[in-house]
Amino acid sequence: MSSSDGIGKLRAIERQFDRDRISVADLKSLEDIRTRYLSRKAGLLTLELQSLGKLPKDQRAEFGRVANEVKLRIEAALDTLQATIADREKQTALGREALDVTLPGNRRRAGHRHPLTIIRNEIEDIFVSMGYTVEDGPEVENTYYNFDALNFPAGHPARDPRDTFYVSEHMILRTHTSPVQVRTMEKIQPPVRIICPGRVFRRDAFDPTHSPMFHQVECLVVDEGITFADLKGTLERFHKRFFGEKTKTRLRPSFFPFVEPGAEVDVSCVFCDGSGCRVCKGTGWIEVMGAGMVHPNLYQFVNYDADKYTGFAFGGGIDRYTALKYNINDLQLFFQNDIRFLGQFA
Amino acid sequence: MKVGYRWLQEFVDIPETPQQLADRFTNVGLAVDALEIAGSDAVFELDVATNRPDCLSHLGVAREIAAIYGSELRTPKIQLPEAEDHAADILSISISDPDLCARYCGRYIAGVKIGPSPDWLKARLELLGVRPINNVADVTNYVMLELGQPLHAFDADTLAGQQIIVRRADFDEKMTTLDEVERHLNPSILVIADAERAIAVAGVMGGADTEISSATKNVLLESANFDPLSIRKTSRALGLTTEASYRFERGADVEMARFACDRAAALIQEVAGGTIFRDVIDVYPRRRTPVTATLRRKKIQGFLGAPVEDAIVDGIFRRLGFKSKHSRNGWTVEVPSHRIDISREEDLLDEIARHHGLDRFPSTLPKWSGFGSHLPVESDERFLRSRLAAAGYSEIIPMAFSDESTERKFRPQIEPVKLINPMAENEAVLRTSLIPSMLRTIQWNTYHGIRDLQLYELGKVYWDGGEARSLIMAATGALKPKGVHEAEREFGFYDIKGDVEGLLRSFNVAMQAGVNSVPAYYHPGRSVRLGDLVVFGELHPDYVRAHKVRHRIYMAEFDVQLLFESRIRGSIEAVPRFPSIRRDFSLLLSKGIKYAEVEQAVRSVAIPELAGVEPFDRLESGPFPESKYALAISLTYQSADRTLTDDEVDLFDRRILDSLTERLGAELRQ
Repeated sequence: MSSSDGIGKLRAIERQFDRDRISVADLKSLEDIRTRYLSRKAGLLTLELQSLGKLPKDQRAEFGRVANEVKLRIEAALDTLQATIADREKQTALGREALDVTLPGNRRRAGHRHPLTIIRNEIEDIFVSMGYTVEDGPEVENTYYNFDALNFPAGHPARDPRDTFYVSEHMILRTHTSPVQVRTMEKIQPPVRIICPGRVFRRDAFDPTHSPMFHQVECLVVDEGITFADLKGTLERFHKRFFGEKTKTRLRPSFFPFVEPGAEVDVSCVFCDGSGCRVCKGTGWIEVMGAGMVHPNLYQFVNYDADKYTGFAFGGGIDRYTALKYNINDLQLFFQNDIRFLGQFA
Repeated sequence: MKVGYRWLQEFVDIPETPQQLADRFTNVGLAVDALEIAGSDAVFELDVATNRPDCLSHLGVAREIAAIYGSELRTPKIQLPEAEDHAADILSISISDPDLCARYCGRYIAGVKIGPSPDWLKARLELLGVRPINNVADVTNYVMLELGQPLHAFDADTLAGQQIIVRRADFDEKMTTLDEVERHLNPSILVIADAERAIAVAGVMGGADTEISSATKNVLLESANFDPLSIRKTSRALGLTTEASYRFERGADVEMARFACDRAAALIQEVAGGTIFRDVIDVYPRRRTPVTATLRRKKIQGFLGAPVEDAIVDGIFRRLGFKSKHSRNGWTVEVPSHRIDISREEDLLDEIARHHGLDRFPSTLPKWSGFGSHLPVESDERFLRSRLAAAGYSEIIPMAFSDESTERKFRPQIEPVKLINPMAENEAVLRTSLIPSMLRTIQWNTYHGIRDLQLYELGKVYWDGGEARSLIMAATGALKPKGVHEAEREFGFYDIKGDVEGLLRSFNVAMQAGVNSVPAYYHPGRSVRLGDLVVFGELHPDYVRAHKVRHRIYMAEFDVQLLFESRIRGSIEAVPRFPSIRRDFSLLLSKGIKYAEVEQAVRSVAIPELAGVEPFDRLESGPFPESKYALAISLTYQSADRTLTDDEVDLFDRRILDSLTERLGAELRQ
């Protein structure tokens, strides 16, 4: 036997392997083919290598080199095959675990904050960040704090039992959160910088824009050198923070017993940016607050030096701000507590 | 109040269109509710602030317009041919209560011919929505709209004793007013009387007996000034508001009474003929003291935030009809009688701000140091809300009104805050607990087809003499609705209990043992009270049915203040470095033994290494006697300084099992 015969056989085995490996489809047939060619005892290549000894010495090296080359090639091919098959089988197994991912997920019930709470928190946070302290007070209030000390003369229409809920001759459900301002001024000397959010009551029948119970936030600043310009700037700053930086604020002169000058506060319509729409009735402005410089008569009630101090105050409805923020046109929704409504808030 | 554009033009030149004028009105604080263009004329519906009764007339509004444009104000010119005879010879007028009537002017006009007004007069009134009556009555209305002074005309021949007496009504005095209603009077009501009886409710409405009729020949014209508070009280007491009372209760110009009397007399003569007797009978016991106010120049910048030039201030005062003089550091201003709202420096600053223009002042922020802060409870409340939302509860804010009988069902001992003037009978008290409003909310939602609910309210309750924040949680229906992946699961007692425990854990409040004194509105076998902190459980079926809800309702009521106060900021412990050992046991126990007793028996052994006891299965029946039940518990042991050995844990187990056997007769199930 010559080495060329031997090498020819090696090449034949190699060609045979290349044909056989095509039919390998799984790990089992892979093991079969590995045994068939490489088994230490009966592998086709192993057997062929045993003929090495029969070759003349000078031909052995060449035969050995080719034999080793064939063996490495077969081993490498089997390894690649094994990796491919293993990967394919893993994919098949994962494929069997596939779910219909288009089905809806399991839902965990999430709770919701009431929109009035969300907006109250937002308003409080803006003012606290501007240096204000939050104060509160009783809802069943003395007429002294609700009217007298706020410069409402005896017989003022707001005191009328048609407009105000009475508990006794001198006790009422507060009609605004202003009593908290008086109570605070009684407790501390200026500087005063507070906001008073809270619940108030007026004898209005329930309709889309009225409710016998609603919520207000009021602001009071008393200090040396507080001016009407400070009031304007504060209102502008607040409304830009609350409604967005392009919001404009305008003051129209008006009258409230506890301020002078008094003004109604309008903001540029949040729905049409002031170009005029149904909500702002085409005017481009929405009335949101009452405001003004603290009437000096108030200082007498709380023993402040009216010559030394000046101040401003303003107030608006939390319910109204909430309605504007979310474009809600019916206040009754806030108090019906229908979960289909509440569920829309975070 | 309605004002006509052309009528205003009689008193002042208006260089702009009605629409432009409306914007000017807005800028000076005369709120325009509506502007109606009527042919070549226009009608403004003005919402005049309560402190500006001087603007309740065309002359008053014209005065503001004059100030807006700097035009001249033209007051009406009066032609008043008087007769030789003196009115005072025919009639006498006296005021017996000058506190309530500062001035009374009367004129006597003889021989008038009552009939319809001329067209120009009728048209003027009709444009502003005033119904023409007869020439004399129409003139009184016309002059009121023109000058702001309410007037009244009596048929002078119906007056007994040729006398007018302004006095308080007697007890039980009666009078029929022009609207044909018999009024029961009392001494808090001021009346105009003749020698015998009340003939008008002063400042509100005249009487039917002395009304101008088609047969009237001689007229007594009244132009008076009454106390605002007295008129307001009378108007409220009688439930009667008129154009006259509307003006008097805001405050009429006492100096206008005489001029208006002359103006009306002249007009009556023009449209109804007759003779005006000589002189106004002018009874004016309480003369107005002139009001002066001073304004310091530095106050303009100090109060409004920017200086205003002297010339501008002078101009505003002049155009408003204020007589002002420069003083060393500002102005001294004589306030005209029609401006009853002005008496002090701030009032003058208000005028300057309005007429100079609020938009002319800068926007600044107050200069201060320091910091702001929330209410002390705010952080606790926000934390509480976030936990409740995470547990699936949605916040409600219901109305605070309720009816007493419903409140008494839940808080029989609490005296509610009662309203004298509620909107409705079932809203006559403030709620004493959060339960009825929560049940009404559940009812509302179930009525609208939503039966699976988890709700909470953090709101106020009220009682006679106080109010406090309270917390209620409530749940009904399914905790998990049926879905494609999961079966439905009803909300149950152990869910509300788990939520309560979760809240207490997150506030680090120790869960004390339950005391069985729950209110009657809870299911007696499914409710727990934990001291004063919380009561929770299933609502009694009787109370659920009363609210027309078909499903079980679970509730928890917290004393939220106590919850916040009990909050402990617990120290955080390091994670144990050594492994824990868990042992599970299945116990057979006699039915009736409660889990708390089991845990008590376990813990009574006082093994420091016992880190936890947890039940994890319970069988009511099985291969054991019917009187028994099986309870599986797991015990977790943990040491902070070593790995526990099986031997020592075996010993712990044995001691615990012995205790269970001794105390409860528990058997270990094999």
